Amino acid sequence: MTDPKWAWAPYEPSDANPWDRRKVGHLYRRAGFGATVAELDAGVKDGHAKTLDRILNGGPESEDFTETSAFMASERSMPSGAPQERLSAWWLDRMLKSAHPLREKLTLFWHNHFATSNAKVKNARFMLDQYHLMQKHALGSFRELLVSMGTDSAMLVWLDTTTSTKAAPNENYARELMELFSLGIGNYTERDIREAAKAFTGYGISYGKGALNYRQHDNSEKTVFGKSGKFKGDDIAKLCLEQEACPRFIVRKLYRFLISEAHDAPPDLVNPLAEEYRKSGFDTGKLVSVMLRSNLFFAKETYRSKIKSPVEFATGIVRGLEGTAGALPLAEALEGLGQVLFAPPSVKGWDGGQAWLNAQTLLGRNNLALALTSTEDTRFGSRCDPAVALAKHNGEIVDFLLGVFLQGDVQPAACDKLLDYLKAAKSVKYPAYWSVGDVSNHRVRAVAHLVLTLPEFQLN
Amino acid sequence: MSTRRDFLKDSSLLGFGATIPTFLGQSALAARTADKPGAKDTILVVVQLTGGNDGLNTVIPFTNADYYKLRPTLAIAKDKVKKLTDDIAFHPAMAELAKLYTEESAVCVVQGVGYPNPDQSHFRSMDIWHAGSTAANPTDGWLGRTLKAKPSPAFHLGANNETSPLALAGAPVRVPSVASLDDNKLKMSAASGADGAAQKNIITDLASGGGKQGESSGPGGLLDFVSRTQMNTYASSEKLAAIGKSYKPKVPYPNTALGNKLKLAAQLIDGGIGARIFYVALDGFDTHSGQGGATGAHADLLRQVSDGISAFYRDLAGHGHKDRLCVMTFSEFGRRAKENGSKGTDHGSGAPMLLVGGNVKAGIVGDHPSLTKLEDGNLVHATDFRRVYATVLERWLGVDAKAVLGGEFKPVEVFAKK
Repeated sequence: MTDPKWAWAPYEPSDANPWDRRKVGHLYRRAGFGATVAELDAGVKDGHAKTLDRILNGGPESEDFTETSAFMASERSMPSGAPQERLSAWWLDRMLKSAHPLREKLTLFWHNHFATSNAKVKNARFMLDQYHLMQKHALGSFRELLVSMGTDSAMLVWLDTTTSTKAAPNENYARELMELFSLGIGNYTERDIREAAKAFTGYGISYGKGALNYRQHDNSEKTVFGKSGKFKGDDIAKLCLEQEACPRFIVRKLYRFLISEAHDAPPDLVNPLAEEYRKSGFDTGKLVSVMLRSNLFFAKETYRSKIKSPVEFATGIVRGLEGTAGALPLAEALEGLGQVLFAPPSVKGWDGGQAWLNAQTLLGRNNLALALTSTEDTRFGSRCDPAVALAKHNGEIVDFLLGVFLQGDVQPAACDKLLDYLKAAKSVKYPAYWSVGDVSNHRVRAVAHLVLTLPEFQLN
Repeated sequence: MSTRRDFLKDSSLLGFGATIPTFLGQSALAARTADKPGAKDTILVVVQLTGGNDGLNTVIPFTNADYYKLRPTLAIAKDKVKKLTDDIAFHPAMAELAKLYTEESAVCVVQGVGYPNPDQSHFRSMDIWHAGSTAANPTDGWLGRTLKAKPSPAFHLGANNETSPLALAGAPVRVPSVASLDDNKLKMSAASGADGAAQKNIITDLASGGGKQGESSGPGGLLDFVSRTQMNTYASSEKLAAIGKSYKPKVPYPNTALGNKLKLAAQLIDGGIGARIFYVALDGFDTHSGQGGATGAHADLLRQVSDGISAFYRDLAGHGHKDRLCVMTFSEFGRRAKENGSKGTDHGSGAPMLLVGGNVKAGIVGDHPSLTKLEDGNLVHATDFRRVYATVLERWLGVDAKAVLGGEFKPVEVFAKK
């Protein structure tokens, strides 16, 4: 069993567990969307402390990024009826380019936590407002996030609060608030839900923002978790935050997101962090910092103990090759892999883990890797060309590609087989009109595709 | 049409060897026993209605005045329902299933199905139905255990954003999820045929290499899991594409999500690969608001279910498979008897299940749950869902129900006696 003291103490490199390229790659995959060669180099050179600081603090966004992203999210570019793909593409673009990937990554965590889908909300403005709410508190206060979510327009539509009235309360939000957003099953009663539902009556949307209409609100006394009062929605959220189960529930979920999905978080490891989290007033940034700096985060049992999400899979390829990809076609391709941003399958979010991979999504991943790197796919063109990346970094083909994507850490046979392939390629009959450059570029791209289909590359 | 024998002749499939549990390798075993004279090759198709289907507006007690009191805006008028008996009817959108009931005697309705201490969380209640057990934190499903007891190929027919159901977990080989048979190809950018073959060899070789790394197979055996999924996929993809090409439905299918999935099931059944369990889901039944009555959101869903299953039945009947077929519908719970203020219904409990096929005992099993003796406003179940499962297991699939469900459940009369 893992000793909690050791697990959460800050990691220090040792001979047995040195700071190396693999650890830099691990950190960039978990805390962001993958590393470039330059980031891997700098991480190794600067050491763990400086690299962790850099990731946790994030960089300031460039003016260009900030303005372009804001423009793309403006009412003119993204009216309320904007199609789903435009929303998901907008966020994907941020994930690929943000100077603070950790904040975007945690926003994705909260999106999966408060899983709201534009398939029902059908209002891009509301979805963007919810994004901004989550992004603002991504590394901030979960208390504020949970309370504010009760009057978030997208959420009000998503879980039917807008139609819940004093005469006939709708239980949808009250139930998911407790079951999925704050406590987890087994920590409330059906009576708590029915009483809490009364507190959420009368909320509607006025001028695009959530607002309480007192005429439809049930102002009677309610009893929730044994406490009575004329509660409103925010009171119920605060009552949930007071429950012992609440910080534990969030820590467990964050453990699965940042540490491991190979097993459930053991209570011994959850409890001390939950206690700190509660004491800190639900400071998520602090909690994330403890987790990412910890011995456990850099331990062998944590390395590659997750299956990459489709978003992680795709962004990792684009970032690794220092390429660009049209965010719209990329968003469309991710649908085939099972992840549409702003449209999770249910209020429970994406199941994640092994559920990401099945016959179709696996072929989808292989084929997306090919489309991105072959330069022959009309959707993506040649903006993410492994041959260009190799030329920039000047290495051996196999060494370079295994290095940037997997830090060279693969089954021994992989390297040999890829080298054999290159050797054998000499006898391949290439089309007569291919130039020498065409032939060598084709080999780089083919090897890139083969590397991206390795089972190891599916892991995070 | 490709026959089972053709399919199994392909040595490249079996060439993966015994260390690799491809589901097609399993199908070889299953098919051999199915070829024996007298061996059963019955098929179960589970249709999951995700979100909590409103049973009260599906199987309607249309002569009961309390029904109309509980549902002032949602109730279906007497003259609109599709009558099955003097006091029980289908929703008007279920005309096609009503026809199968009256004209083909191919529909059995089990009323008031549920389990003790009903849970009103979608996710917990769904887990209970999938696990076939009310034990906490289930890790495998009733169909997964069924496949373990009696291995055969099985399929989850789902779109890309649908994850494999817990019900199928625990099967000896991972049950593949398939959305279409056409699109199932591993692509390559090859300079020539030989180059393509070389690339493909590397991809499949290195897929199997991942799992063979002992301790580096990684925490929780994730690398091994990826390896196995890759190998299953590569072994099956092109074969499946071939099956799809030659199929001609005998009746048109509705162009709906469910219709397309059931058509795919028909292709796989007729393709003769020995698959006996299919799983499909249709989402959208969580009708907290704007549920609609004779028309509207819920009606559209029920029409999809009714038209889809009916086309599936008639298509398979045309291909000579109707007596092998049993479709079974369920939902994680029914909905509150009284409608809410959003012209919808909140989470409830007891609800009907439907069984459709050439060998089901047409009729209605059990009484409609009382509309006056409610529990917390919910309909009380009379039949435990595991009784229906047990019947399907014992009398349809020929599997020891006690072993699968971990207890004895009294069978329900849903199949015609042979």
